[in-house]
Amino acid sequence: MAPPREAHPFSRGGCLGVSATPERTDRELLRRYHHDGDVEARERLIEQYLPLVRSLARRYSYRGEQLEDLVQVGCIGLIKAIDRFDVDRGVELTTYATPNIIGEIKRHFRDKGWSIRVPRGLQELNVKLSKLIEELTVQLERSPTIPELAKAASVEEEEVLEALETGQAYSTLSLSAPTSGDDEDLDPLESLGELEPEYEVSEDRAVLAPGLRVLDERERKILHLRFYDGLTQSQIAQQVGISQMHVSRLIRRSLEKMRAEIATDTTDTELRAS
Amino acid sequence: MSDRIRLTFPRDESYHGVARLVVGGLAARLSFSFEYLEDLQLALDSLLANGAYQAGSDVTLELLVEEDGVEMCVGPVTPALRTDLERRLDESEGVGLGRLLATLVESVEIESRDGGEWLRLAKRTPSRGVAASA
Repeated sequence: MAPPREAHPFSRGGCLGVSATPERTDRELLRRYHHDGDVEARERLIEQYLPLVRSLARRYSYRGEQLEDLVQVGCIGLIKAIDRFDVDRGVELTTYATPNIIGEIKRHFRDKGWSIRVPRGLQELNVKLSKLIEELTVQLERSPTIPELAKAASVEEEEVLEALETGQAYSTLSLSAPTSGDDEDLDPLESLGELEPEYEVSEDRAVLAPGLRVLDERERKILHLRFYDGLTQSQIAQQVGISQMHVSRLIRRSLEKMRAEIATDTTDTELRAS
Repeated sequence: MSDRIRLTFPRDESYHGVARLVVGGLAARLSFSFEYLEDLQLALDSLLANGAYQAGSDVTLELLVEEDGVEMCVGPVTPALRTDLERRLDESEGVGLGRLLATLVESVEIESRDGGEWLRLAKRTPSRGVAASA
C-alpha cells in the first residue's frame, strides 16, 4: 500500500535516502541552537536538510541553470528557515523550510533577469496559440503553418515564434505563467520532476529502466504513442484528450526528466565507484 | 543550389533557444507546419542536450533548404555520439537518441568534414505549405 500523499518524503527516511531523523532530534537541535546558541547544532540541521534542498533545486535545474548554483541558493533559504524557526510552534521544520527554500530559488530566478522573465503579452499569446492550433488543425484538416497562426492571432510571425519558445522553456521561466488551460498545468512547479511518494513501493515501477521510472503512466503512454506507434502530436492530442501544445510539453518534459534521472544515476554510480 | 543558413553559438545551454528560434524563423519563411517545426526543434534539442560535442568548441548548426525538404547539420560531435545513436533501445528500456531521431526525421548520418565529425539529419516536406509531420 502506498503511504498517504501528505507524508513528506523527507520526514522519515523517505525515498530519497535521507537518514531517519526523529522529530525530537530536529527539535532538540533547534532548541540547542535557538536557546543555547549552539552553532554546531545549526550546522547539523543544515547538513541533515541538504538532501531536501538538493531535491527542490533539481525541480528547477532542467534548463539553463546549474544544479549546484541552485543548491547554494536553496541553502540560503534553508538557513533562513532554521534561523527564523519558532521552536514553540507545533510545525515541523520540513514544513516550514520547504516554502522558504522554493521562495529563495524563485527569487534567484526573478533577480537573474531575462532568462526567466517573460513578458506577460508573450505568455498570453502562448495560451492563445495553443487554442488556435487546435481550431486551425480541425478547420484546415492539417497542422497550421506559422504564417497561418500569425494571421489568426493578428500578430507578426516573429511574435508567434517567440511565444512558442516561451512554452518550450517552461521549466525556468513559467513558474507562474498562465498555461493552456489544461487542468493539470495548474502549477508548473508541481508538474516538474517530482518524485511521487508512492513510487518506491510500486512493483510495476521497480522493474522499469531508470529513465522510465520517473515518468507517470500518461507520460509513458505518450512517449510510446509518439516514438513506437509513430502517431503525430495532433493524433496523440485527440487520443489522450489534451491540447497539442500540452502533448508537446509533456514529450519534452518526459525526455528531460529521463535525461536528468539517467544523469543522476550515472553520477551516483561514479560516486559509489570512487 | 540549396539555400544555406549557418549559426555558430557557444555550448552554453542558454543559447539553445537562439538555435531553436533560427529553425523557427526558417519554418515561418517556408510555411512549414507547426508539427513539422516541432519535429525539427525536438530533434535539435535532443542533440544539444546529448552534449556530444568536441570539448572547448562552439556548436555549429547548418540548415540547408532543398527542393524536397530540409537538412540540418550539427557539429562537430565526438565519436561517442555514434554509440548513442545506435542505442535505439527497446520499449521496456525507454527512448534512446536513435529511436527519437528515427521518428522525427527521415535520415540520420554521421559525416566527416571540416576536420571533425558532423551529424546530418534530413527531413522531407511532402509539399511546401502543408508540410506534415514525419
